[in-house]
Amino acid sequence: MSGRANSIIIVGGGASGVVMAAHLLKSPNPDLRVTLIEKRPHFGQGIAYSTLLSAHVLNVSAAGMSAYADDPGNFWRWLQGRGLVDPEQTPQTPFYAPRSIYARYLGELLDELEAREQPTGRLRLIHEESLSITPTASGVEVALANGTSVVAHLAILATGHDEQPAQGHAIRMGSEADTALDPESRVMVLGTGLSMVDAFLALEQRGHTGEIVAVSRRGLLPSPHRKGNPIKLDVADIPLGTQLSYFVGWFRDLIRENQKAGIDWRDVVDGLRPFNQKIWQNWPASAKRRFVEHTKAWWDIHRHRMAPEVYAKVTQAVQAGRIRLVAGRVVGIVPSEAFSVDIQSRHSQLVETLDVARIYDCSGIVRDISTSSNSVVRSLVDRGLARPDPMRIGLDVSANCEIIASDGTVSRKILAVGPLTRGTFFEIDAIPDIRVQCARLSKQLLG
Amino acid sequence: MLTKKGKYGLKALVHLAHMPAGQLAFVNDIATGNNIPKKFLDAILGELRNAGFVQSRKGKDGGYRLARPADEIKVGHVVRVLDGPLAPIPCASRTQYQRCEDCNEATCQVRHLMLEVRQAIAEVLDQRSLAEMRDIVLDDLTVARAIDELPVKVQA
Repeated sequence: MSGRANSIIIVGGGASGVVMAAHLLKSPNPDLRVTLIEKRPHFGQGIAYSTLLSAHVLNVSAAGMSAYADDPGNFWRWLQGRGLVDPEQTPQTPFYAPRSIYARYLGELLDELEAREQPTGRLRLIHEESLSITPTASGVEVALANGTSVVAHLAILATGHDEQPAQGHAIRMGSEADTALDPESRVMVLGTGLSMVDAFLALEQRGHTGEIVAVSRRGLLPSPHRKGNPIKLDVADIPLGTQLSYFVGWFRDLIRENQKAGIDWRDVVDGLRPFNQKIWQNWPASAKRRFVEHTKAWWDIHRHRMAPEVYAKVTQAVQAGRIRLVAGRVVGIVPSEAFSVDIQSRHSQLVETLDVARIYDCSGIVRDISTSSNSVVRSLVDRGLARPDPMRIGLDVSANCEIIASDGTVSRKILAVGPLTRGTFFEIDAIPDIRVQCARLSKQLLG
Repeated sequence: MLTKKGKYGLKALVHLAHMPAGQLAFVNDIATGNNIPKKFLDAILGELRNAGFVQSRKGKDGGYRLARPADEIKVGHVVRVLDGPLAPIPCASRTQYQRCEDCNEATCQVRHLMLEVRQAIAEVLDQRSLAEMRDIVLDDLTVARAIDELPVKVQA
């Protein structure tokens, strides 16, 4: 390719697509052309921010949610401008906005960009489903579901989390199959993490009073946030490239030492955050595999926390017996009028049989990428233009976000951001990490 | 600064990096070949095993080998395990910080510069793999030339 790549198609207009577009459009280049394609009726929502329920709040405080990596106060100022936060308070105040508000923020941010770029023609929005991306001699061609196609020099995949159908007899909360329920019936939730918490809040909103049995391998509930100051670490302090057990030992010691000095464990976990990608990238494949299999569940409940108010609600429900957390696995389901479910306890190995009216799948968002429900991703993998990363939790991408073909060739035309790149970037699900990735990629592409 | 332990550990690993893939090296050979006290070497290899850089086999035919290809193990990985945080001076580490008795760290210019040095150390050591270090030995003329070609500051 000669010269700069001026025209860029972003496939996926959810949160990561909008954040990517916003960073690209910071470039003064008058020849830049950004095309953002989204199949949902609204830009900036994706799966994460399409919930209308006010009880579904962000899991990250407002200061972490600005769309711009170099302007952390952007979301806070927007909240202030709309009168949604106390004008006396600072952006450092813990504030967990409803996700629907965040969707509005990203929507308005895109509206503003669209209005600003209207005379320049640098931004084009397309409401349509993308079917495939094909490299051409001069760039890429993206085929759309309406039979047309768009071309550009480069394409950036920002398809976010996969919307795979629920497993077996389970259904997704809020899907079409999630019809009215007897409010007193017992329901089961697969998973005890943040998605289970969302399901509980939604059931509560609907006036559901029946027992909620939440099952996961370890039955662990995520921890609450607490205001603090992350400890300062330096890359020179952190053991890189060791086996997992060595690293975990070092990290436990670090937490213990800090706790002795009266520092909260959260400040140690958060202090590690700037180095998480580096730690992940330096681990041997065996350490990555062991982490995903054994350590990730523990890491997640400490690292991915919820608003303190939500935590209070959930623990109250657990104490009152409205939620029952079970460490175990489902070993059998007999569907009849209700479901008769056999759950084997992780600890006692005993099998308990429960009748539940419904099973909700909240078991997490990481699935084998080659079975993706997203046609663009699947067609890239099927044609060998992309390949799953060694963990199969995303697409294999280079440190520069370029996708890697099945024969190991690094693409110069197709890139990816957000959760799709978690095999290389580890924690790349949340805005604080995605905005940094988008800022870096924008600089890499446009200078 | 690199201690004797760190230096011996790196020498032992370079020794292992020279072995044909999968073949074990005897501890005695590593010790005599690199002039490392045997007892000290045993302790060092034990730590390297705990961190997952080498594997060992016990018994008559026992010995050590690299747990991973030599190009995957970075020199910085090894030094942190053997010597702790990379720091040219104890007050320039965050986790193993030791205050100097005789100065105020907020106003100490030496410490300030050493923080920069720490950054540079990490950058060099985390870029270089054991395989690269092994190959330097055969190729030290180029290293010497590269150093010669570094820009020289002319003294006024």
